[in-house]
Amino acid sequence: MHLQLITLRGIRLDREMYELMVPTADGEIAVFPGHEPLVTLAVPGALTVRYDKKDPDDKLEYFAISGGVVEINPDAIRVLVDEADLGADISEAEVKAALKRAEKLRDEAKDQVELEHAKELIDRHEVRLRVADLQRRRRSR
Amino acid sequence: MASTQALKLRIRSVKNTRQITKAMQLVAASKMRRSQEATKASAPYTLAARQLLTALSGRASVKDHPLFVQRPVKSRLLIVIASDKGLAGAYNSNVLRLFTQELASDAKANIRTTTITVGKKASQFVARLKSADMLGLYDELPDRPDGKQLRAILDNARQLFEAGTVDAVDVIYTDFVSSISQEAKVQRVLPAGFEPAAEAGVAKDVLYEPSVDAVLSGVAYRLVGAQLFQALLDSRASEHSMRMMAMKNATDNASDLVDDLTLAMNKARQAAITQELAEISGGVEALNE
Repeated sequence: MHLQLITLRGIRLDREMYELMVPTADGEIAVFPGHEPLVTLAVPGALTVRYDKKDPDDKLEYFAISGGVVEINPDAIRVLVDEADLGADISEAEVKAALKRAEKLRDEAKDQVELEHAKELIDRHEVRLRVADLQRRRRSR
Repeated sequence: MASTQALKLRIRSVKNTRQITKAMQLVAASKMRRSQEATKASAPYTLAARQLLTALSGRASVKDHPLFVQRPVKSRLLIVIASDKGLAGAYNSNVLRLFTQELASDAKANIRTTTITVGKKASQFVARLKSADMLGLYDELPDRPDGKQLRAILDNARQLFEAGTVDAVDVIYTDFVSSISQEAKVQRVLPAGFEPAAEAGVAKDVLYEPSVDAVLSGVAYRLVGAQLFQALLDSRASEHSMRMMAMKNATDNASDLVDDLTLAMNKARQAAITQELAEISGGVEALNE
């Protein structure tokens, strides 16, 4: 089935694939070809794609996504998220540094808005770190 | 007649200035190309959000959603997008002029106006105005803004709108028409406008999880966000192309000035030589008498 991963910065993925795992508000769901039509909300987390039915687990690709909307049709999926980073592209060292900065922001926040903003940043970086970790473990196996 | 030495010094200083403006022109040109491409990137996102909303409008009353509610406008939030740095021709002054016009028309219509600024030039300007009520400022956004910066601004605006503190949210930005034409504009972001997309692309009997309303909120929020994001991107591209034009003009002017000064210097030098010759021949005449 066809997958489109659309972000604010353009179309990240536009190709055929076999299986997609999406974190949604009600828990993670896996989508295979022939899924019934469904529109649901994605939450920040790891989006996992298996491109071919025969692909083993170490060929899975992971994307760190922010919240968004997922539209599923029997033969096509559209994922609409603000940001999506490919696991292999994420530099753990950089994210760790960014996470530290965000935590510092949180500790120094002067008001509620800043605090919320910092917390959001922290969540985002933690998701990215988790995805980078997933990708690395799969590859090294 | 100015001395040759003084003219020489001026020529050198103008040439230095020209070198700097030329460098700034090249930098702005390359940045412009990149941000020009970025302005197109968010189009698929907007389209997808609109198609989803079209499909949803058959299932739920979109007009009654908190982000779409039209209220009589008694107070309004203006998001002013300008740049952090100057030397971009009329870029900042165009935006800020439009902003003061909007302020004046609001004052006349008895509308309370609050402001959120993006970019140092905007925040400095608004901070100096006594009549403006500044709510927040976002300075030094990166050259390629992403979801993080967007969400900070967007959430602020949405909360105010949903709480009923403001009845409308407008963004003042610079529309990137082409690399030679940019236009300061006011655009309404909230209440969200909605035009059905031509082909919905979403099947009819669809399941919505967790609920139709929740999905509607998610999609509407994304649509509004995409609009604001587009305004940010357009402003960025406009800033760079206006800076490029301004620096190109400065470079051309400097070249003209160097030509004029060189001419003046050559004249001065020639005049000095002529005078010296006249003095010598005058001296020779005097000796011969």
